[in-house]
Amino acid sequence: MEEFADLEARQEALVRALVGGAELPEGFDGATVGAASRALLRKRFGEVLHAWPALIAHRAEFLSWAEGRPPRGSLLDGWDFARAYRGVLSRDALAALALREALWRYDGVAARRRRLPAVRVFRRGVAVAGFGRARAWAR
Amino acid sequence: MTGPGVGIGWRPEIADFVDGLGGLAFTEVIAESLHHPDARLLALRDRGVPVVPHGVRLSLGGAEAVDPARVTHLAHAAELVGAPLVSEHVAFVRAGGLEAGHLLPVPRSRAALDALVRNVRATTAELGVPLALEPIAALFDWPDDDYTEGDFLTELLDRTGALLLLDVANVYANARNRGQDPVKVLESFPLERVAYCHVAGGSEREGMYHDTHTDPVPAEVLALVGEAERRCPPCGRLGYLLERDGSYPPPSVLAAELDAIADAARLPRVT
Repeated sequence: MEEFADLEARQEALVRALVGGAELPEGFDGATVGAASRALLRKRFGEVLHAWPALIAHRAEFLSWAEGRPPRGSLLDGWDFARAYRGVLSRDALAALALREALWRYDGVAARRRRLPAVRVFRRGVAVAGFGRARAWAR
Repeated sequence: MTGPGVGIGWRPEIADFVDGLGGLAFTEVIAESLHHPDARLLALRDRGVPVVPHGVRLSLGGAEAVDPARVTHLAHAAELVGAPLVSEHVAFVRAGGLEAGHLLPVPRSRAALDALVRNVRATTAELGVPLALEPIAALFDWPDDDYTEGDFLTELLDRTGALLLLDVANVYANARNRGQDPVKVLESFPLERVAYCHVAGGSEREGMYHDTHTDPVPAEVLALVGEAERRCPPCGRLGYLLERDGSYPPPSVLAAELDAIADAARLPRVT
């Protein structure tokens, strides 16, 4: 869209600064755009909780992880975060991750439902999935 | 549409509360959620409650042309709920393949106005009902705005024939954060084109007022509801709709907020 090329470039530069950690384009007020960027992060965490309610205890970690990382949608944002923080997740969050990974195959790009039964072991338990159902046991 | 009344945004978490409001004048549903419509919402429609699909992802203010699939969905959403109109925002939500995750302000420039007009026309061409446009709450402005918000809106609505969704809380938030008089800002908007109004809560953080939709409606916003009601046309609009999007309080608190809005606008209570 040649007519709006300049507007398009300016909008993209702003979004990259807001959610992608890029430098703020010239002329903007860093304080107010920074406040907007942090508000976007908080809103994003609220949306991640819809897909991953068990991450409720990890708000601070998520906000710091997501800063500068463009949103991929609540399902994949929560998934990427949970994998990156696997070592420190609460038991509920670990169980949620294991359940999802027992039901779905996620290669970091897209998630697909597994066709065969699967077992996932996590630090404090095990998740088993098959025929569209899954269950986790934790100590 | 006759005289104004009071409504609340339908959300699955408060569906039972909304269902129990005998005097509910109208409701609104997030248009993108109508890919999987909830039976409880359709029951309201069947009860004769006007339902307005409210889009949040169309990105009308984007430099990129609106996605025809999103426009088609909005039109389907309107048909599904038998909507009197649909609404969207004066905002963009993505650029260069990146999703911002929420509504962002457009620069108030000639180019942005032209892009909005193109996208609004592409949308209204597919809709069987009118479109109302909502100016957003923005925590920041672009560095080189050529128009005031009122002039920008007036020209946008003049050129597209769209209606105005006046978010009273957004007017309050922007005026407070920009150090302006909210009543003067209100008066600069094309109020003769108001289709309905939003009311929502917010809170202060880092010295700025945030329109959170998860906090109580402050007294200042209720006072602005009264100011808006005095300045809007007496009929031809739906009224005031409370938007709540999380941290849902008990039903008695929601009911009290709806009563406070009705009282501020001098309209009948709906609870």
